[in-house]
Amino acid sequence: MKNVVFIVDITLKGSQREVGRWAETRSDPYIFCTKAWKKWCDKNDCELFVLKEEVLPHSTMPVSWQRYYIFDLLEANGIDYDQVMYVDADTIPHPDCPNVFEMSDRKFCFVHNEGSYDWILRSIENYGKYFFDGHTIPWTDYFDSGMLIFNEKHKEFFHNIIEFFHNNRENLLKVESEWHAGTDQTPVNFLTHTLNIDYKRLPYEYNMCDMFRKELLNDNMTFTDWGWIYQYNSIPNNKDDKLTFHWMEKTYNHLWKDK
Amino acid sequence: MKKNVVFWVGVKNEKYSEKYGGWDWMDISRKTWEYWCKKHDVIFFPFEKPIDDDLTDYRINWQKSIYCFDLLDEAGIDYDQIFLADATCMIKWDTPNVFELTNHKFTAWRETDNLNWVYDSIKGYEDFFSYKLNKYDYFSSGVIIFNKTHRDIFLEFKDLYLNNVDKFVELQDKIVRKGTEQTPLNYWVQKNNVELNLDLPFSFKLTHIHRKDMFHYNWQLNEDVTPFFVKYGYIWVFNGIPKDQRTEVMSQVWGLVGYNYDDEHFLNKVIHKDKWCKTTSRKFKEDVLRIFKDRKMDNCIEIGSCRGDTTRVLAECFNKVYSFEQSSDNITYIKERCSDVDNVEISQSDVYDSNFEIPDVSVAFVDAGHSTELVKKDITRFLNKNPNMVLVFDDYGQKDKSIRNAIQESELGISRYIGEYNGFSFKRLNGEQVSLEGREGVICNL
Repeated sequence: MKNVVFIVDITLKGSQREVGRWAETRSDPYIFCTKAWKKWCDKNDCELFVLKEEVLPHSTMPVSWQRYYIFDLLEANGIDYDQVMYVDADTIPHPDCPNVFEMSDRKFCFVHNEGSYDWILRSIENYGKYFFDGHTIPWTDYFDSGMLIFNEKHKEFFHNIIEFFHNNRENLLKVESEWHAGTDQTPVNFLTHTLNIDYKRLPYEYNMCDMFRKELLNDNMTFTDWGWIYQYNSIPNNKDDKLTFHWMEKTYNHLWKDK
Repeated sequence: MKKNVVFWVGVKNEKYSEKYGGWDWMDISRKTWEYWCKKHDVIFFPFEKPIDDDLTDYRINWQKSIYCFDLLDEAGIDYDQIFLADATCMIKWDTPNVFELTNHKFTAWRETDNLNWVYDSIKGYEDFFSYKLNKYDYFSSGVIIFNKTHRDIFLEFKDLYLNNVDKFVELQDKIVRKGTEQTPLNYWVQKNNVELNLDLPFSFKLTHIHRKDMFHYNWQLNEDVTPFFVKYGYIWVFNGIPKDQRTEVMSQVWGLVGYNYDDEHFLNKVIHKDKWCKTTSRKFKEDVLRIFKDRKMDNCIEIGSCRGDTTRVLAECFNKVYSFEQSSDNITYIKERCSDVDNVEISQSDVYDSNFEIPDVSVAFVDAGHSTELVKKDITRFLNKNPNMVLVFDDYGQKDKSIRNAIQESELGISRYIGEYNGFSFKRLNGEQVSLEGREGVICNL
């Protein structure tokens, strides 16, 4: 029974305006992600599972929500798993990144989303008002759903997430396009608290999002000397995701090419 | 008797006044800390005059660190814990007593804003200290809490500096150029195996507010223009902005929140839920005040005024407040609470008596009977009187859901959630500690 790293790398036909982050142009650099994680998995005796096809048509369920079918997918593919780490397709690990599965305490693990708190707090307040009866969640524990660790005991939690989506589908799709305050991330943050899921917060270095804001994304590759898992999001002036490609390719060549 | 101390650093150096856009911001910071210290019975100890006048070799940031214990000893203060806070910080009026959260450890907060700066600073001092710093424990030195057990660490840190002044000044001003005492203090603390508490939420150290996009408010819901840092932060650190704009920024903030630090302000005179369970929270009252402050032409009814703490807030919002309360003891309280206003008409009566008549009002604060049936009855009769009447409810988030059920069963849509959030805890009259399961209150028909 192995630990599994799970990546969703689905390419949809259409422009980014039409199909969002899964458009062909945007998913071009994801090859560096899957190649790097494959090597990391080999080094750490883990299995890599990449979802290349939609579980449901994205018109029914946006791709970002489909990750929560992971338990069904693993079972359908006959994969015997212990713990699972989901990572977004715009991440790359450092070759020396410690085996994070050993840090989980077998809890639901995530990394706090450091970044634009205007976006985060708006998202919390908006979803809180319209989907969670005015509740709030501890904002300093708000997580980026681009890196999650879980195991079999979280099966019911993930089914609850899927159920939540289907029960609220119409409104969720409406507010996603109106607020631009995320897709699955904020609702899943809320569900973690409303369902009393025991969680562990890992340090920023295990999902380094919004690196530009922290002035780490520079040509000295400082970020590669700082932490372990890099997420190439929130890069300013990133027309057609060319900068994502640039940084992911550069990181891959810097860290992994000769490994 | 030992007391906790806020060691506040606010040295005004006229030589640099222009660079810092004057020093008025220090006065603003000071007012907030003085208020908070008084509230929590903490000694406010201002460090305003340098020990050494050579501020090139002995920067204020160094002096605060190396002379802190000397100054407290000299002043004869019997201290327990010491909160060292720069004048760049303002503390929010309702910040909890953070000394109670430290576990009596050296408490600090990770520095994660400009990590490239941190990286360069760590690297810059690595050779001097011949030590591999754990960068994940790197903290800001602008807000730190320590105690008597750390005295020797700081005194030895003083010796280290005094024995190496020239080297430190060279590293600081010519070679590394990344900060003053912060990185050396991080090295010193780690080298000496000081046990750190870095686990308190960073709402206690809200640095780089601009970088975090927290000067904004929720422009999408557009219900509350309070900036995010005020709503969600406890200690606001005005760094990472141009130094000469600090006075302007902090003055604007003071203009927005200054009244909270005024003991004579009515919000500071009435009782809140954290002290007495039967009333509303301060946040509830603030929300009511914010939402209804422009309704001076309207009249309001409050059924179940209890001791009149919320009544006093309603008096601030409306032309006239009709206050109804059944208990004669409470009537005495209401009269006292509202003695400084003349727009509250207080009646002692049973609002469920057949003789009760609803006056001509446009807003009703429904807080009398708490059973689902009675609240439903209130909703029906108020809306029968005026279908456009705005209804405000307390206790929406209480465990038994009686108010929530009444609103739902009446098919009344919720316009705003107000007051404290789920998880807010308070003591019942019998001493039992309970938590709200949902929002404290709601407004319907707004």
